[in-house]
Amino acid sequence: MGRAAYIRKRLLLMVFVLFGVTVVIFGMVRILPGDPAFLILGDRATDQKAAELREQLGLNRPVPEQYWMFVSGFARGDMGQSLLYRQPVGDLVLRRVPVSLALAAYAMGLAALITLTFGILAAINKGRWPDQLIRVGFLFALTTPNFWFGILLILLLGLTLRWFPVAGFGETPAQHVWYLFLPALTLALQLSAVLIRNLRGQIILTLRSDYVRTAHAKGLSESLVLLRHVLRNALLSTLTIFGLQFGFLVGGAIVIETVFALPGTGQLLIQSITARDYPVVQAITVISAVLVIVVNLVVDLSYSFLDPRVTYE
Amino acid sequence: MEGRRREPDTSAWGIVFALEESLMFARNTRWPVIGVAIAALLVGACAPAPSGTQSATTQPQPSASSGPKVLKMARNAEPFSPFVPWQIDDNPALFISVNVYDTLLRTTKDGVSVEPGLASKWESTADGLTWTFTLRDGIKFSDGSPLKGSDVTASLDMARGGAKSAWKDNYKAIKEITAPDDKTVKIVLSQPYAPLLSVLAMFSGGILPADMARATDAKDYDNTLAWKTKGTGAYYSEGWKKGDPIVLKANPNYWKGKPSIDEVRIEYIPDDNTRVLKLQGGESDLVDFVPFSQIAALNGQSGVKAQTFTIQQSAFIILNVTKPPLNDVKVRQALNYATDKDAIIKSVYFGQAKFMNSPIPQGTYWDKNLPGYPYDLEKAKTLMSQSAGAAGFKMDMQVRSGNTNFANTAVILKEAWAKLGVTVDIQTLDTAVVRTNYRAGDFMSTPTAWTNDMNDPTEIVNYAMRGGASPFSYWTRYNNPDLNDKITKADLEQDVKKRETQYSEIQKIYLDAAPLVFIAYLGATAGWRNNVDGFFIDGLSYYRFEDVKINK
Repeated sequence: MGRAAYIRKRLLLMVFVLFGVTVVIFGMVRILPGDPAFLILGDRATDQKAAELREQLGLNRPVPEQYWMFVSGFARGDMGQSLLYRQPVGDLVLRRVPVSLALAAYAMGLAALITLTFGILAAINKGRWPDQLIRVGFLFALTTPNFWFGILLILLLGLTLRWFPVAGFGETPAQHVWYLFLPALTLALQLSAVLIRNLRGQIILTLRSDYVRTAHAKGLSESLVLLRHVLRNALLSTLTIFGLQFGFLVGGAIVIETVFALPGTGQLLIQSITARDYPVVQAITVISAVLVIVVNLVVDLSYSFLDPRVTYE
Repeated sequence: MEGRRREPDTSAWGIVFALEESLMFARNTRWPVIGVAIAALLVGACAPAPSGTQSATTQPQPSASSGPKVLKMARNAEPFSPFVPWQIDDNPALFISVNVYDTLLRTTKDGVSVEPGLASKWESTADGLTWTFTLRDGIKFSDGSPLKGSDVTASLDMARGGAKSAWKDNYKAIKEITAPDDKTVKIVLSQPYAPLLSVLAMFSGGILPADMARATDAKDYDNTLAWKTKGTGAYYSEGWKKGDPIVLKANPNYWKGKPSIDEVRIEYIPDDNTRVLKLQGGESDLVDFVPFSQIAALNGQSGVKAQTFTIQQSAFIILNVTKPPLNDVKVRQALNYATDKDAIIKSVYFGQAKFMNSPIPQGTYWDKNLPGYPYDLEKAKTLMSQSAGAAGFKMDMQVRSGNTNFANTAVILKEAWAKLGVTVDIQTLDTAVVRTNYRAGDFMSTPTAWTNDMNDPTEIVNYAMRGGASPFSYWTRYNNPDLNDKITKADLEQDVKKRETQYSEIQKIYLDAAPLVFIAYLGATAGWRNNVDGFFIDGLSYYRFEDVKINK
């Protein structure tokens, strides 16, 4: 099967996955106990007022009908009204998606840089002190909760050294890059901890293979062997993890967005779950699901660029 | 807080905060110290010492002498109600509203009486049914157009009768509002209503231009338009989108003169620790909701100050008096006596709270001479032994997740009440669930807090003490017909002295019946940089930026 056919198949699969996601999320937010009508109207609302509101919001219609309204609306690009903010969900959510996406991309970029640097450094110094230091250091990053790590970074780089702002998003694009650095670094450090271990192992494994010995025998320089022959092969499995971790980033960013006060989807999601703001929760979840699926597809496709032997069937 | 006006719920943050708590560091005076110590060690080891110039490059100081004076505030929550005074139902929105929309009258800073607002004077007929208000001369909206009597009538008509008004109940006694001329507003009541002036000083009676006021009530009104404000208050907004900072600009036409600070920028920083860090780092000039635990620590640092302001707020436990043996008043009194309030004030509120001696907060007609229930374990044991709970019993305490203060209180009570043979089963639940349960009467006890929205006790008394109908005496299901009558009478009484006596009696009856476990009066906290002057949270927890100055 060619690449184009493969993409078609994956996109078709995506439709089924999305269907599953919508059913699960729709069901889940409705299983949660707690009546949105009283959350909107407050405690003093009479039962009659609450009933009127439920009618107005369509919350008393049959569940399948509500589901159909949600899915068909979504397909038309209409994500409904936020129950809490009484504004179109699209306006609320779509303004925030770029913040979260930028954070995720920034974090992945930093993670790639950190992983390549330290992964290679650890592998070529296998068993010596740089290797040990890197492994212990990133084990610390891996086992520390990221919000705590974030606060440590704020204290060190924000409050004490004043190199970066403590929290917030800034207002100009240049400021955004500046303000996003610490949260992105927090996420990246934790992400790299997994990736470095994997890449180090893969490089060490590849270094033992015959073709590397051949390359050395041909008299190629150490760096050329490493970059052209070893790294390209070793990166394959690291890349898979990298793609999977995007899901983690979307999730992990919820906490980090809170600590660093970033106006992203994670922050909105937490507010909306608490307020039982069904349409917002549904919209954010579906959008996140689409992003994860697309990124994983891109990762799968990138294998063939790294390794021409990879075919899609 | 509970009651009509609500703080946006933060219980889902509980997941985050519970994690922080489990690390033992968070929300504790020790942790920033430890954190700074670690940071300092790291800095010492791997980097040159910071120099002062770096802070100047990363954070341009807002108080610089040139350019407009900007106050940067970090808040714990974003508004969510439509930004129309009578549609507002959350604290973050109403705190901004009082800076943008003036009311006929204002609550005094101590929160116990009213003073002139847009109206410079007022008088009533002897029967208390007709009230005439005279508007100040020369009041203009932020765009320069003059305020007219018809703007006042249109706005108040929306507040009392608009389809979207959240506060109609407070205006029930009003029969008619008219503007005989541009300077006069006349309010006619269908029956005497003592809290009228307090109600007119509430944020919900903010005045908009008549056409704007009416437009907001349309079914398809676009709520984002409401943030393009036109009020007579000290500040105005040119628009706001959720997620952005809220920008308030000084109103050049303000009737008290243009305020000292040209622009207020309010950023949403939900995490308590991050907010405090922003203040310490100089990125914010002013922050609200400083954790009680950090007040003392902040005051020990240079450059910043923190304070707890007295507001009309109380914390207590709701008991469901229909669930045996809580239907026995002796059981409820025993629980009250067995509660060591001082211990809770010390360990939960870090000393930033006061003993709750009466069922109502420290506002108008609060009876400061009531004894409350001082801690007395022996008395509690005696009462319990004579009660329906003598053999001991089990009761649930439903605690909303994410509220550390309630959770800690519950833990202390569990231990304290075990001495009476009461086994408390602490259930941590989502706020939405706790609400559903107490509306349905499906609980035995739950911690909560109340904040007055107006300076008159009628609100809390009707909410927390009147039984028979929703909200069933604050969901306790306590119902005393005699007390209900007294509450109605107090609402109608015009004589201030007589009313005071009536409310003292009402407080005493409810205190003795003990449908609640009375714990503490709480305060509102804030922190600011040393160059900020005049910030003040009043008794109803409003603050006005017109009083604030930034010094160099």
